[in-house]
Amino acid sequence: MLSLITWAPLAGALIILMLPKEKVQTIQTAAFLAAAISLAASLAMIASFDRGTAAMQFVERWIWIPSLNVQYVLGVDGLSSPLVLLTAFMSVIALVGSLGIKERVKEYFFWFLVLESGMLGVFAALDLVLFYVFWELTLVPMYFLIGVWGGPKKEFAAIKFFLYTLSGSVFMLLSILAVYFKSLPHTFDMLELMKTQSAWDPRFQILVFLGFYFGMAIKIPAFPFHTWLPLAHVEAPTPISVILAAVLLKMGVYGLMRIAYGITPLGFAWFLPALITIAVINIVYGALCAMAQTDMKKMVAYSSVNHMGYCLLGIAGMSATGFSGAVLQMVNHGIITGALFLLVGVVYDRAHTRDISAFGGLAVKLPVYSGLMAMTCFASLGLPGLAGFISEFMCFLGAFPAWKWQTTVSVLGIIATAAFFLRMLQKVFLGAFNEKWAGMQDMTVRELVCVVPLALVTVWFGVYPKWPLDLINATIVHMLGK
Amino acid sequence: MTLAHYLTVAALLFLIGLFGVLTRRNVIGILMSIELMFNAANVNLAAFDRFLHPEGVAGTTLALLIITVAAAEVVVGLALLMAIHRNLGTAYVEDFNLLKG
Amino acid sequence: MIEHAYLLPLIAFFASLVMLFAGKEDPRSPLPWLGIGAMTACLTIAVSIFWSAAFGGGVLPYERNWRWFSLAASIGGKSFIVDMSVGTLIDGPAAVTLVVVTLVSLMVQIYSVVYMHGDTRFKRYFAFVSFFTAAMLGLVVSSSLLVTFACWELMGLSSYLLIGFWFEREGPCEAQKKAFMTTKLGDSGLYLALLLIYAKVGSFQLSQIQQFFDNGFMPATVATVIAVGILVGAAGKSAQAPLFIWLPDAMEGPTPGSALIHAATMVAAGILLVSKTYFVFLASPSAMEAAGWMGLITAFLAASMALVSFDIKRVLAFSTVSQLGFMMCALGVGGFTSGLFHLTTHAFFKALLFLGAGSVIHAVHTNDLRRMGGLSKKMPLTFLTMLIAVLAISGVPGLSGYYSKDLILADVWNHDHAMFWILLFTALMTAFYMFRLFFLAFWGDDRDHEKFSHAHESPVLITGPLVILAVFSALAGAGLDHDGLVSKLLAKPTISVMPGATAAAVAVPVDGAKAETAGHEARGESSGRGERHESHLPPWLHMTAITLVLCSITLSFFMYRGPTYALADAVKANLAPICTLLERRWYFDDFFYGLVALADQAAALAFWIDANVVDRVFVDGWGLLMLIFARISDAFDNIFVDSAVDGVGSLGNDLGVGLRSLVKEGQVQEYLMYAAISFSLAATLILTR
Repeated sequence: MLSLITWAPLAGALIILMLPKEKVQTIQTAAFLAAAISLAASLAMIASFDRGTAAMQFVERWIWIPSLNVQYVLGVDGLSSPLVLLTAFMSVIALVGSLGIKERVKEYFFWFLVLESGMLGVFAALDLVLFYVFWELTLVPMYFLIGVWGGPKKEFAAIKFFLYTLSGSVFMLLSILAVYFKSLPHTFDMLELMKTQSAWDPRFQILVFLGFYFGMAIKIPAFPFHTWLPLAHVEAPTPISVILAAVLLKMGVYGLMRIAYGITPLGFAWFLPALITIAVINIVYGALCAMAQTDMKKMVAYSSVNHMGYCLLGIAGMSATGFSGAVLQMVNHGIITGALFLLVGVVYDRAHTRDISAFGGLAVKLPVYSGLMAMTCFASLGLPGLAGFISEFMCFLGAFPAWKWQTTVSVLGIIATAAFFLRMLQKVFLGAFNEKWAGMQDMTVRELVCVVPLALVTVWFGVYPKWPLDLINATIVHMLGK
Repeated sequence: MTLAHYLTVAALLFLIGLFGVLTRRNVIGILMSIELMFNAANVNLAAFDRFLHPEGVAGTTLALLIITVAAAEVVVGLALLMAIHRNLGTAYVEDFNLLKG
Repeated sequence: MIEHAYLLPLIAFFASLVMLFAGKEDPRSPLPWLGIGAMTACLTIAVSIFWSAAFGGGVLPYERNWRWFSLAASIGGKSFIVDMSVGTLIDGPAAVTLVVVTLVSLMVQIYSVVYMHGDTRFKRYFAFVSFFTAAMLGLVVSSSLLVTFACWELMGLSSYLLIGFWFEREGPCEAQKKAFMTTKLGDSGLYLALLLIYAKVGSFQLSQIQQFFDNGFMPATVATVIAVGILVGAAGKSAQAPLFIWLPDAMEGPTPGSALIHAATMVAAGILLVSKTYFVFLASPSAMEAAGWMGLITAFLAASMALVSFDIKRVLAFSTVSQLGFMMCALGVGGFTSGLFHLTTHAFFKALLFLGAGSVIHAVHTNDLRRMGGLSKKMPLTFLTMLIAVLAISGVPGLSGYYSKDLILADVWNHDHAMFWILLFTALMTAFYMFRLFFLAFWGDDRDHEKFSHAHESPVLITGPLVILAVFSALAGAGLDHDGLVSKLLAKPTISVMPGATAAAVAVPVDGAKAETAGHEARGESSGRGERHESHLPPWLHMTAITLVLCSITLSFFMYRGPTYALADAVKANLAPICTLLERRWYFDDFFYGLVALADQAAALAFWIDANVVDRVFVDGWGLLMLIFARISDAFDNIFVDSAVDGVGSLGNDLGVGLRSLVKEGQVQEYLMYAAISFSLAATLILTR
């Protein structure tokens, strides 16, 4: 099952490679089919997912490189299954958004599907080598997708993204090798390592943790390693921004929870005071930076920094509420910020500018677009009834008992978040209509097909978060109940 | 009929082929000569198989492999010849000096 | 009906959804009547709940919960799954408030059919109003603080939408943002209070939290922090100092919407929240004191600002702030009953005032009091209903405001005499500025002839609600005060004395008589007893207060009855600095604008740091380090490794050049010849060895 989910996009990519590049429609259909197979399979997986157990489910285990004891192990639990589903879902949404891509269509969809395979693999892999392979597999397609189809400074952004994240993963590789040689018998199996780690001394765990952390902090992105993000987001084409925000950032937090916490808990505990500080900085400083932006996309990018801060906050509390809040926040942030990027893309396609002050009064002319944008902004600033609130609140709940002052300061971040979103709404949508955009059309069917499902899920998870939380709960209780 | 007979025939075949390769001016002739050398090797293989390891199949398998490779090689060679002929209008080797460094 | 109380918010919410999404936007759309029908249904349910609570045998509080979702939690290293509930909790205050909210909302909606007639976003307006009401109803009936907070925030959203309803203009846009941000600032306090409550109690169910307090598990300092957090939240929503700045600007929205905000929904929420969590305040005397003083200062400041304003809606807005101060002050001094009583009566007459003002604005198309005057001749019905409202808010005996204000003053008198005198002075100011508004608008002769000649009485859909509300404004006080109904319904909750706690930490209920009898009683039992509220003003003080109010009204009459108001101008000229202070609203706005500017500067600074320090150090610096490393290894490579390679290479090169001279270049067969010769040579050598 998991192999099907993971490899279906790659198979699609190979099929696309064989199609002639003039047949744009066939290519698009093939890409859709591949992503849809993946989505359908992950839906089927979720449907038969046992919510009562914390054990790994749908495990597939094959020997891969016997001499090094490397295995091909896939499996999901409550921590990874929501993310697998999120990835498959957002990929389909982003594919719909990609229909607007007009140049080098074949290469675009090829790289896109390779990227999807990599992302799915990261969340499903249970062997460190396999994990690392998938982790790096996402880099290359991303490099091309930003570098070829991006904005004016695309080459620079792509290089910066690639080199920076790569340099982080190198440290992660070091840590992977370290735990391999420390474990007896030598193994890369995460589940084995989680069982045996308790014998390792704290100094070793701290060193290994730091290695993992560098790799993941850059992906998250945690302060001060976040500066690649605004640039990459701004330069990437819209669907790729969506994927970048919705899925790629989650790989960092996921890795932190699964690997850094699972394999080196003592190192993790040692790092907590720093982690909470970083979380607070991410939240407050990210929101302040977002407030200073005039480019909508850059503003949303910095808001991602702020929102990933909530995840870190939840994790730093070391409580089940915070952990499950962080997982839910990852899912919700993926959906909400994905929608935000899509919506910003909509206006950029029409106006070819994202400058906040270039607009005004669009609500008169584009009621549907304005309504969706306002709803998504409110979801992002944590309005109850929409998805962002519950997860954000759970992160705060989880962190508060352990870190009272830091959490209190973080609440300031919520106010700043509200401030920049409201300011953007006012400048772009309210006030006197700017006659320059008199010819602007409201959203097309294709754009609605992208955004409306996200909006519906936002409402669903906001009003009735039982469904995603039940998926997560058992695993988190097991993770922290030890 | 001993092994030596076969080896002699094969050696003669190989030398004829070598002679052809070195002296023919027409590329097609060279290719045909190369085929002769291949077949000399095939004869050797079959003979060794028959006389030294009658219970095994390694020799015949290898011979089959060589036949396949020879066929592929001829295809590639002829394709190259076609390309050269189209560009230079000749099939005589002394007129080719594309490899000149 | 009480078991179906959950229907109240749901009906309103679905009506709002249908109105928002169904049908096309059309100034003559029939959809608003759907909202009105839904609200009538809500009113019916609310009245039946109220009736059974007040006169029937309904036992309050009534609680009913459903599972909402489950979340993981850990305490002391153990993790488990806990359920989060959603449900209804109907107690006396809720039963009363439900009627008030649904009634005012219904009146507002009927009124709006005419008032908003012809607006391009006609349908959307009604959807917003229904949504607003749904949020408020949800807040009232909810049994969980989390749901309460959710509705609280949704109300912030609806006020944002309603205030900025005419978003094409600059004013509403600024006002809506200001309202949302100011209340959000307050909400952060409530947010922290919620976090603290959950960290201590592990539940958001009000009844469980109360039990926790009842059993004395909550340390007094923590209770104080929680109470202050709630108070900050309430200050934001209920427009208490210093967070009241948004309310005077909120009148940029449609006038009936303002009526809703000022009477039934937004501002009542803060007071209601404090009453819902009153046990927290009872556990913390210092927080009570803070609430009392906050209310007092707000009441005074707002009343003083109302004295100088000439915008009819702004005067009303300041009066709302001031009256909310009264309520908060009452709650702070332990006057639970009086505070909520005033909330109820205030809702009726404030809605009436706003709708009346709307009727006036509808007629003369201006907000400026100086351009009105003499309207009593043109609009008799509006004039009469407004008179009732103004009398009620001023506290003239017999009308509703009198009863509630009287109770508040009595509670304050029993608590602290200094506070009483300030509050009484504020009440006098209230009477003065309300009658100032009234005389300026309706009395004497017209000041602006053109406006006056266009004025006309409003149609029945506007005057109808006015009359209904006027009836309630006049009679609600007496009706509720009759036979101790108000003390029965709005009975003050009590919490028991904590066993083994120090005396300082014990929250002594402010009216000490109840402290012993309360014991371990749950909130429900005490509220069911229906005992009469005991505190009253001494008779001499009572008479003095009434006389002073009448004097104040008379003063107002003499200053503002004529077409010109020379006396008032003279007073103003003599007190110029004070007037400026009042007109600048005590510089609170400037203070908050300064805060916003500061935040902007912080944002700019943060971004500068991000672009120039963090990016430089952690990206470019990293790159530079790599580059230096690369240079070093490059040099090493060039000098040592590469020259060795080059040496081997050049050797091979020389050999090759030497050999090449032997052959005629480019002849394949010659190459082959050499290959064959060298091969046979090699073979011979090897074989013959």
